[in-house]
Amino acid sequence: MKSVAIASGKGGTGKTTLTAVLAWLASRELEVTLADADVEASNLPLALQVHSQTCTAFQGGGKARISEADCSGCGLCQEVCRFAAILSPHPGVFRVDSLSCEGCGHCVRVCPAGAIERTPTCIGEACLGQCRTGPIAFGQLGPGQDLSGRLVTEVRRLGLEAAQERGSQLLLIDGPPGTGCPLIAALASTDMVLAVTEPTLSGVHDLDRLVQVAERFGIPVRVVLNKADLAPEGARRLREICQRQDLPIWAEIPYDPAFAGTLQAMSADMQLQPQTDSVAWSAAAQVWKALARELDLPAKLATR
Amino acid sequence: MAEFTLAIASGKGGTGKTLISTNLSVLTSEEEGLTVLVDCDAEAPNDHLFFPQGPRKAHPVEVPIAEVEVSRCSACGLCRDACAFGAIRMLGKARVFGELCHPCGVCVAVCPTGAIREVPRRVGEVEILRPAGREQLVLVTGRLDIGQVKTPNVIQAARSAAGQFPARTVILDSPPGVACAAVASLRGADALLLVTEPTAFGLHDLELSLQLGRDLGVPMAVLVNRDVPGDTSVETLCRKWEVPIVARIPFSRKVAETYARGGLLVEESPDFRELLRPIPGRMRGLKAGKVVRA
Repeated sequence: MKSVAIASGKGGTGKTTLTAVLAWLASRELEVTLADADVEASNLPLALQVHSQTCTAFQGGGKARISEADCSGCGLCQEVCRFAAILSPHPGVFRVDSLSCEGCGHCVRVCPAGAIERTPTCIGEACLGQCRTGPIAFGQLGPGQDLSGRLVTEVRRLGLEAAQERGSQLLLIDGPPGTGCPLIAALASTDMVLAVTEPTLSGVHDLDRLVQVAERFGIPVRVVLNKADLAPEGARRLREICQRQDLPIWAEIPYDPAFAGTLQAMSADMQLQPQTDSVAWSAAAQVWKALARELDLPAKLATR
Repeated sequence: MAEFTLAIASGKGGTGKTLISTNLSVLTSEEEGLTVLVDCDAEAPNDHLFFPQGPRKAHPVEVPIAEVEVSRCSACGLCRDACAFGAIRMLGKARVFGELCHPCGVCVAVCPTGAIREVPRRVGEVEILRPAGREQLVLVTGRLDIGQVKTPNVIQAARSAAGQFPARTVILDSPPGVACAAVASLRGADALLLVTEPTAFGLHDLELSLQLGRDLGVPMAVLVNRDVPGDTSVETLCRKWEVPIVARIPFSRKVAETYARGGLLVEESPDFRELLRPIPGRMRGLKAGKVVRA
């Protein structure tokens, strides 16, 4: 099985739209499994009519809690806490700010009165469902929680497991924005990064950062230039940069609000036919063909 | 300390946070006095692209990471057992995986042979730029190094660097999402402006941001970007949360094109400037507890 992460650095470049359309195209030819690795703003399930989902609470590292009755008011916990998570509303009274607490347990260790315990916390949920293209793994982090990278890893694990069970030939991962912890968790051991970029200055800048991260992990990058006609100068610069860095541009999709609107149509009715007269749709089909060829996927229609 | 700190955020990426942050900063710097724009989107910082000229100075952001002095390690494994983040493994002797280290200091405290100490490690940088020709504007950028993961530390460093300026207004261009990076940017702000768009994705992610803003206790308002005439979906959601809509930016290809080439709309479009002009006053009113409406 091959796995491909769709990523961008910058948000809003069209990752989820492209993932959904590629999933739709792929599902006509082979078994495909999806994983939405953007657990802070999970949108792929919205686009693909998920049904019969099973969600389980995802436990984080836990948060400290001080029992007021047992607290002697010595303040040692506040002294050792590196995260400014122990508040003292009144002298001698100590409380944990759970949004700041990272659950390291330092306070639990030093409390001479044994008044602090670490209680496990649910930081979100990880789900596996079915949609019209096949299995889909996704998750949602509770607002304000940390450890989003761990939840991403769990969602990837669920996706991989479902793909193996189902005998999928392809795992498509809808990546998170950014270039930090959640992205790195999403990229782990994928075969390829499909970078969706746009010809804005921001898009160019963030593509460069994404490519550097992917290179660090030795993952090849292919580029899709979305909203290509929005800024001719920016598009020209992107083509130059990609050529210089030996990054193949697989397709250029014109700026077409109706293409993004495709998703609304998909969520309403997956029987939707590809709009062969739409330039954006044929560009997406071009991406699918290139993907099938490069990863040597058993896709008959695509390679024909 | 700044008189007023305004965070600009959204759950979904690409809704227009940077567009609003850069343009609003130029506006307040011209009309209200010294403004510090802090680019807290440390994984993909882009505000500087709109201010290409001017002197800049960067300093590193360092985080203390646990390090084992192998010759003193007795391989007892206490540090591994104590580490809540799974950052220490026993490979013969103890070894720290720096990316996972939070750094809480627990391993240093439990090590019976004093073999662990914390050593500063660079994770990113903070850059201070004085944009040319803009006396009253400072841009502070937090930038995570490639391959690093300590985004919240970089954001905190950028915010504290911004604190050295006697600013009338500080604008925090926040990262997307609702996790630790967003919290590092939103916490302690006087008001929060959530940028959204009237799509199914935009609405879904707006609700998550509203939840986070409420948990943090920051007064909030919403700006609808790429507004579609007649759309009431955002309004319905905002009514449910009792949060005002302070501005609507109509969908426009011209806005997208200007943004794409790094242009500032407040300087190129008087209409756009008028759309943004009431926002700072309304957000200050929100802090003071007044009812505001677009």
